[in-house]
Amino acid sequence: METENDNKPSARKIALLILIIIFSSFILYYTVMSMLAPLHTLAEIKKEFSPEQSGKKKDDNRILTDSAYLKLIKERAHLQSGIIMAETDSIYLIINLADSSMNLEISGVVVHKSKMNSFKASRILTNGNENIISSMLSTPLTISSAISTIKKEPVMIKMAPRDTSEYKPDMMPDTSITEPVNYILVMTNGIRIYVYQEEEDKRSERMTLFKFDLNDRLTQTWKALKRVAVFKVPEYHPYLKIKLPRSDAKIIYRAIPKNGQISLFI
Amino acid sequence: MENDSIVNSGSQAGPENSLPDNGSGDSHNLLQPIDSFRKKLLSNRKLVFILKTILITIATIGLTISSILFILYFVPVLAEITSGHKTVITNDKELAQSAAYKKQLSLITKDIQRFSRKYNAYTSGQSYIVINTTDNRFFLYRNKQLIREGFCSSGSYTMLQTEGNKKWIFKTPKGKYWIHGKTTNPVWKKPDWAFVEEGLPIPPKDDFSRYEYGVLGDYALAIGDGYMIHGTIYKRFLGMPVTHGCVRLNDEDLEVIYNTLNIGSKVYIF
Repeated sequence: METENDNKPSARKIALLILIIIFSSFILYYTVMSMLAPLHTLAEIKKEFSPEQSGKKKDDNRILTDSAYLKLIKERAHLQSGIIMAETDSIYLIINLADSSMNLEISGVVVHKSKMNSFKASRILTNGNENIISSMLSTPLTISSAISTIKKEPVMIKMAPRDTSEYKPDMMPDTSITEPVNYILVMTNGIRIYVYQEEEDKRSERMTLFKFDLNDRLTQTWKALKRVAVFKVPEYHPYLKIKLPRSDAKIIYRAIPKNGQISLFI
Repeated sequence: MENDSIVNSGSQAGPENSLPDNGSGDSHNLLQPIDSFRKKLLSNRKLVFILKTILITIATIGLTISSILFILYFVPVLAEITSGHKTVITNDKELAQSAAYKKQLSLITKDIQRFSRKYNAYTSGQSYIVINTTDNRFFLYRNKQLIREGFCSSGSYTMLQTEGNKKWIFKTPKGKYWIHGKTTNPVWKKPDWAFVEEGLPIPPKDDFSRYEYGVLGDYALAIGDGYMIHGTIYKRFLGMPVTHGCVRLNDEDLEVIYNTLNIGSKVYIF
């Protein structure tokens, strides 16, 4: 026979149940807030780049769903952005999703061409309001920071010999070492461009990519959790994930300046 | 529980179940050791507690890991669902007939033509050279056509540091440059770092020991700030980053480049 006390759940059980409920509610709350984040970003982009902001009339709205018009404004935005960058003497990058190319240019001259193996873009960029996105991309994107698995400048420090007896002639550099090339270029407007090497032959390369991706996810999630904890919608960063041959990925990363410019043609 | 098993065994002991081929009887026999093991297990309170703790720990760890994975990998996917709706193309026929629409399109087309002309004008029809410092390769162009490509050597990215904290970094500068001057049979005037690197005392500015003959090949093209495109005696290093910032080429490539590029020709280094 069970006593009445045995039927009552223990305090520990109640505490556990409450904890599970709180935990599940927080996850649900975080998920909802994260789903609201892109809408928030989209609203901000609309506010900044909508045609109404540039003084266009309201009756122009029908034109915004016209394919011929949209195609032309996209092309114009791409050229406008390219010209702005070509006027500088700096190295810049042109990413063309329409023909899957990624070209390095200096003053309008293509110095390096590369072909994307695959890419994945945020829905805001590909499915968002084309008119607004074109307006946003008519000016070049500027890199604010970068995270990478390789060094931007592979500087080796060499101490000068005190006299000729300490002098050792330079050895031939070891070019057989191939390090995995994965990096993220963070733009000033929040767009994040992920470049991954397409070669994943070695287990160590897959592991490096996994760790690199996990580290970024943890950083982004931590930032989002901090915002959600104070009842703020987390920041949403439109992204572009590109797979390139390792050599091309390395060339682009080493060539583009720290605060270099990028033009995106979607 | 005991009563239940008695009732069950009683019902199975009926005349129809007394046949030799009785499957339910066999299963009962099979269940008996399991049942007795369960009873033994439940009677050992310590063991039950340990098992319960293990199960709760596993469940907690599992729940935590799945929650983390959900937050890290699934929430971003869910967020993408709400991140944009494709523009619905209507291609309004009435609009397409309107003069305002045609005017707008023609204005944009004119803009595109103007921008395209401007953009294409950036690529010079004159000769220029492109140097890739990552792969240590060069590409020579004339009339927008590639006429020669090959290996070169560029800066080693070595930072030479003295005990007195004097520093030199040996890297090839990147960007747009042009040919400032062309020389045949160049003589290398060794800078201070060339002596420091070998552990030698730095001689006066115009000391004869600063001049070295025959090490820069037959030609040199100056690109400014002391950097040059020149030949080398270390041909086995071509295709590798080994220089102090200059661009080294083999004799044949250097001759073609020297004869193709003029003073003012563009040099694009990336």
